[in-house]
Amino acid sequence: MTKAMKGVLTAMLILLLTLAACSSDDSATTDDEVDDSGQDAENAGDDEEEEAEDDGLFSIDDFSNMKASEGDALEGGTITFGLVSDTAFEGTLNYNFYSGNPDAQILQWFDESFLTWDENYVYTQDGAATYETSEDGSVFTFTIRDNVNWHDGEPVTAEDWLFAHEVIGHPDYDGPRYGSDFTNIVGMDEYHNGEADTISGITILNDKQLQIEFINVTPSLVTGSIWTYPLAKHIFGDMEVADMSSSPEVREHPTGFGPFKVETIVPGESVTYVKNEDYWRGEPNLDGVILKVVNPNTVVQELQTGGVDLVSSFPVDQFPDNAEMSNVEWLGIVDRAYTYIGFKLGSWDGEKGEVVPDPDKKVADVNLRKAMWHAVDNTAVAERFYHGLRWNATTLIPPSHPEFHDETNPGITFDPEQAKQILDEAGYEDVTGDGFRETPEGEELVINFASMTGGDIAEPLARYYVQSWNNIGLNVELDMLEFNTFYDRVGQNGDDDPTLDVYMGAWSVGIDVDPTGLYGRNALFNFPRYASEENDRLLAEGVSEAAFDLEYRKEIYQQWQQLMVEEIPVFPTLYRSEVVPVNNRVQNYAIGDGTGVYLYELAVTSDQPLVAE
Amino acid sequence: MWKLMVRRIIIMIPQIVVLSLLVFMLAKAMPGDALTGLIDPSIDPAAIEAMRERLGLNNPWYVQYWDWITRALQGDLGQSFFFKMPVADLIGQRMVNTFWLSLATLILTYLIAIPLGIVSGRYNDTLADRLITGYTYVGFAAPLFITALLMLYIFGFQFGWFPTGGSVSPGSTPGSAEYVIDKIYHLLLPALSMALITTVSTVQYLRCEIIDTKQKDFIITARAKGASEQRVYHRHILRNSLLPIAALFGYEITGLIGGTIFIENIFNYPGMGQLFLESITRRDYSVMTALVLLYGIAAIVGALISDIILSIVDPRIRIK
Repeated sequence: MTKAMKGVLTAMLILLLTLAACSSDDSATTDDEVDDSGQDAENAGDDEEEEAEDDGLFSIDDFSNMKASEGDALEGGTITFGLVSDTAFEGTLNYNFYSGNPDAQILQWFDESFLTWDENYVYTQDGAATYETSEDGSVFTFTIRDNVNWHDGEPVTAEDWLFAHEVIGHPDYDGPRYGSDFTNIVGMDEYHNGEADTISGITILNDKQLQIEFINVTPSLVTGSIWTYPLAKHIFGDMEVADMSSSPEVREHPTGFGPFKVETIVPGESVTYVKNEDYWRGEPNLDGVILKVVNPNTVVQELQTGGVDLVSSFPVDQFPDNAEMSNVEWLGIVDRAYTYIGFKLGSWDGEKGEVVPDPDKKVADVNLRKAMWHAVDNTAVAERFYHGLRWNATTLIPPSHPEFHDETNPGITFDPEQAKQILDEAGYEDVTGDGFRETPEGEELVINFASMTGGDIAEPLARYYVQSWNNIGLNVELDMLEFNTFYDRVGQNGDDDPTLDVYMGAWSVGIDVDPTGLYGRNALFNFPRYASEENDRLLAEGVSEAAFDLEYRKEIYQQWQQLMVEEIPVFPTLYRSEVVPVNNRVQNYAIGDGTGVYLYELAVTSDQPLVAE
Repeated sequence: MWKLMVRRIIIMIPQIVVLSLLVFMLAKAMPGDALTGLIDPSIDPAAIEAMRERLGLNNPWYVQYWDWITRALQGDLGQSFFFKMPVADLIGQRMVNTFWLSLATLILTYLIAIPLGIVSGRYNDTLADRLITGYTYVGFAAPLFITALLMLYIFGFQFGWFPTGGSVSPGSTPGSAEYVIDKIYHLLLPALSMALITTVSTVQYLRCEIIDTKQKDFIITARAKGASEQRVYHRHILRNSLLPIAALFGYEITGLIGGTIFIENIFNYPGMGQLFLESITRRDYSVMTALVLLYGIAAIVGALISDIILSIVDPRIRIK
């Protein structure tokens, strides 16, 4: 009995450890493709289990984003897609109304955008519609391909596209999409406020052609600032706008024009699809797709047993233990995100809607901020905590935007001696002899640092940074806060906590490179409350007419990245990668943007998923 | 009897009002709200503010409470912010799953508890008894979620005997016999996992009762009259020992509420427990408050049922 008991106990202990290691997954980061600017990546310090051996390092360079093809593809077949989430999906199955990432994962199989984009996130002419711009760039003419039909056989028309704009701009609309992309359309504001019955900037030329006129012409227009999802007018036309998102046409039998049709939905847990033979790119290879929600805690077992062929995401902390899984191939891409440490340099003026820099802030001295950047060894953090799946960040435009990320800019490197020297020269000296430096005025300097809880390593990570700063003689006090409290105090409502000096956050950036939404003078999400003339100028230049010239725009954003390295309102700590497993029997699959691989080409080489040995 | 019930139901009303007030205040005391997650520069902060205003999130809590309670009394529990559907519909959808899961758990709990309790009590201090009490101690000590994960790992993934998530196979059509069987198949493993843990206290109660009753005078009398061992156990001991167990039935319901929250999350079983946890982390107030209220009512009703059963089986405590 004792022996058996020992066995059970050991098994339980092991399970307890695994559970602890994977209880916080990466589901917090919402990464929707429609979104064109920044989104908050909640778990700033998520979650990696520390591994004993040092050689277990990975590099994103070793991953492909395309599935290798082995063997011959079968005709037909069915695959299972695992929607990795610890919550049930909401079931708002229409691009015009959905808000959560789980729903987007379901949508991608049966509906799609009119326009596709390349690896630099610029709209291409390969999608269900093509576009032309007028001489001055303000008028876009879209032409929908003739063979694009809704699942019920009705053609997708320009009318449907206009209808989507009318619904989203309607005052009763309850989704999150109405924003600057829409107000940038001529006449949209008037329509939204009820002053006009139609949107004057959108003209229907004929059944398949639509013209949209924009107010501000910027290079950002073609990187995700156009609403490219139609809404079937023949289905929703007679419905009240307020009732649409909860209607059975959205929740129970949704429609689209994508490669698969929804067959059945079990609310919150699974969806089955059959192929749409009338798909405009051609008949899909597969007969059908099954989508089911998989808990992050059990995703590894589902993959090993062939319960799922593909997954929407994979908890990165479980990767090192499963890198050798025999029945899958791992694909990887650079994530559009970075973790950063921010300095509070001012406050927010809600009346005027702009940041107010305050030169008296504790961390207002750029030398202090620079020393704090010098003091941290992000490479060590990346290797110790993330097995190399995250790596040292240098500038505020991550390498997920290869055109604009300045590889030659080294940022500020780890050099504690340099840090000490900078502080000495700036007058931060330890006059009281307590081991911590005082301000140049001789006053005690205690820096308040806030970080988010969540995941096993959130706290050790934050403590590591505190330790690094202690090492250069700075007295830093750590406050671990829960997500909601954290952003309340950092200032998501504009009432920043004045006692906060430094914080660690993360941003997941949109497909458009323009950082104004995060660092502009009028951006509420400019949490460091930083502003300067030069910053204003560069951000404006980046979206000016001159910036239509790609070389010029690159140059501007290189200057901006350099400015941020010099001024340091925030400094980036880590860039991130994303890895997902694919069952070996799957062919023609790719992750990331602009791959040119589409879901209708997806195929399998055997009837049943391969099982791990 | 009726008097007791009426009296208890009258007491229930202030209990529920206080509960609703408490729940509401605690919910509002949590930092952040449903819109906190929308930290997204592409959404105009003014639009978020307008949405807060429209949802009434800027009103003082007592105004919000009054709005909520008056509507709730009219049967309108509000709209879920995330699911964009009426809370009543949403909970209704999930409640069906939780109901069947709880029922299956209850049945399994008693199916396990009664034979084990009887064996353990009747043959106390034998090897069988030691094994059974050993199991109950492990059961007391083992957290539910660990047991559930173990069960899922062993029977779901290693042996592949049971489905590993969801309440029904993708693509089955409601109404058919296969659909019903499939549903039962899906809830067996989660129900069993929970039953294995919840049953241990019942086993212990039953064992103690039987051992206790065995030594009572009337049992000696029965034996003295020459009743067969079989008859002594079935007619005399078991009947008397089962009564307190029956009385615990109502509290069992309360225990299930806590259990389903864990189980549903581990087995990805879309019921109220899973919904509850989600609504808390995402600050979906309308769903959260409605669920806590429902859970509270279920607990109070469970206690009421227990009291009623107790007063039926034990006339001594009946209120005249």
